[in-house]
Amino acid sequence: MKYLTLDTTTKVTALALAEDGHLVAEGFLHTSKTHSERLIPMLDQLVHAAAWELTDLELIGVVRGPGSFTGIRIGIATAQGLAQVLEIPLIGILSLEALAWAGYGRAAEVIPILDARKNEWYTARYRWRADKAQPECLTEPRAANPMAWLNELKGLGGPFLFAGDAAGKAQSLIQEILGVKASVLPEYESLPRGAYAAQAVWHKWQEQGKGEKIEPFYIRLSEAEVNLRKKERLGGDRKDDQV
Amino acid sequence: MNDIYILGIETSCDETSAAVVRNGREILSHIISSQVRTHQKYGGVVPEIASREHSLHFEPVVQTALKEAKLGFDELDGIAVTYGPGLVGSLLVGVAGAKAMAYAARVPLLGINHLEGHVYANFLEAKLKFPLLALLVSGGHTNLILFQGHGDFKVLGRTRDDAAGEALDKVARALGLGYPGGPQIQQAAAGGNPRAFEFPRAMLEPQSLDFSFSGMKSAVLNTLNSARMKGVTLEISELAASFQQAVVDVLVRKTLMALAQMPVKTVVLAGGVAANALLRQTLKEELDKREVRLVYPKPLLCTDNGAMIAAAGYYRYLRQDFAPWTLNAVPGLSLA
Ligand SMILES: [Zn+2]
Repeated sequence: MKYLTLDTTTKVTALALAEDGHLVAEGFLHTSKTHSERLIPMLDQLVHAAAWELTDLELIGVVRGPGSFTGIRIGIATAQGLAQVLEIPLIGILSLEALAWAGYGRAAEVIPILDARKNEWYTARYRWRADKAQPECLTEPRAANPMAWLNELKGLGGPFLFAGDAAGKAQSLIQEILGVKASVLPEYESLPRGAYAAQAVWHKWQEQGKGEKIEPFYIRLSEAEVNLRKKERLGGDRKDDQV
Repeated sequence: MNDIYILGIETSCDETSAAVVRNGREILSHIISSQVRTHQKYGGVVPEIASREHSLHFEPVVQTALKEAKLGFDELDGIAVTYGPGLVGSLLVGVAGAKAMAYAARVPLLGINHLEGHVYANFLEAKLKFPLLALLVSGGHTNLILFQGHGDFKVLGRTRDDAAGEALDKVARALGLGYPGGPQIQQAAAGGNPRAFEFPRAMLEPQSLDFSFSGMKSAVLNTLNSARMKGVTLEISELAASFQQAVVDVLVRKTLMALAQMPVKTVVLAGGVAANALLRQTLKEELDKREVRLVYPKPLLCTDNGAMIAAAGYYRYLRQDFAPWTLNAVPGLSLA
């Protein structure tokens, strides 16, 4: 079964063409251009290079977050647009889950960390078990303060293998807090790759056997919603005071 | 000639819309999913929330538009999409989706300027002859535009501060009337004396076709404040009616000034504020005197909608003015 995966949740545009879990062609662009400008031209080149027809595709997998809000939406709108015309199913996976494949089969827990701005990371913990060909999620994806998260991990044992677009910059901080318990993948393995998403999508497809409705996975509320909730909470408190 | 079917997509602000239009004239389907209610509790459009809503509604809106038109993607001749001006995150949902659809369906992609789209809503209503003078008034824009042919336009005047719709929104909020302001002001003004208050009508330099609404808006707010300080209660209907009259006066006067400078026999109204009854009526009376024809879209086509984008797309299709796959959202896109 031929399928395409799209990941535009970070600054990397990552595409893959794969067949039954085997990678056929991969696109990786980490340039200053936007996803919007790069995505379709890149897909077109990849399909041609693989000597495929777009109509050969039977499935599209898309990374639906967490990551850049705009990037998430571009990926989903593109996947939905393609799937709608080609009349093929969609599968959605998480960016962190895809990155867990960077640590395939390792004994260490895989800790994907993605730059979430505002001095936070999008992160989770994954474990590879010898009896299972896919990563198991140990803590739910969240937006975490780097120091707090690393200290939380310190209490858990480890060892830990870090991946993700925040990993390079955080290397010395990670080593400082976790010491020999932690290692960090080099950038070329650490950034989102079509190859990772292609694996994650294939496993999910085999498990599910059918497509699904795709919704963005943001983790965070928009700022306006956060402020409104704060205001409502304050209003509520004041009422309570009066009682 | 074969019939030409264009799918039009609009996501530049707070409406997710898709429509299928035949030959630039005939609307076969038209779906608009409005977020107005979602944004009401924030008192205006919140960009990130708008983008999130578009992302959720885009796919079903397009699907329904095609279903109601009883057409498949293989029967379309082109896909038109707004790529600016507007909110960048919102625009990107439509642009990304439209590009993917056009690429997969092997049909041309047509990139449409949102303002151009508003004006083309008039081509869905009537057969029009160039040259046309367009008065485009919305929450984001106030422009006088001369159209000498399809794709051949020149902006004659623009607002130097608030857009007319923006001023209406702000005054509506100050009067406690809610969002969006235009329809609220119109409703509140009913029965109010439009001459109760004299608000300044900024005409700028003698020959200028530019607009300015911030002074007028401030005058209303000052009137409200000083009354409040004196403990005087003002009649909302009179304030609303007087303000509405002042806005309409400026819009009409500038349009007539432009007409006096050029041999144009048709004026078209466009944009959300074009739905305002007083504006339509006043302009109609003045234009009748000058034997100039006034055309305006029905209220539904004055709001942001996919049908106007499809109509503009049709003429772009005829000119074979196709967008590249690198098309990006341009939030500050201007008219030539
Ligand atoms: Zn508009």
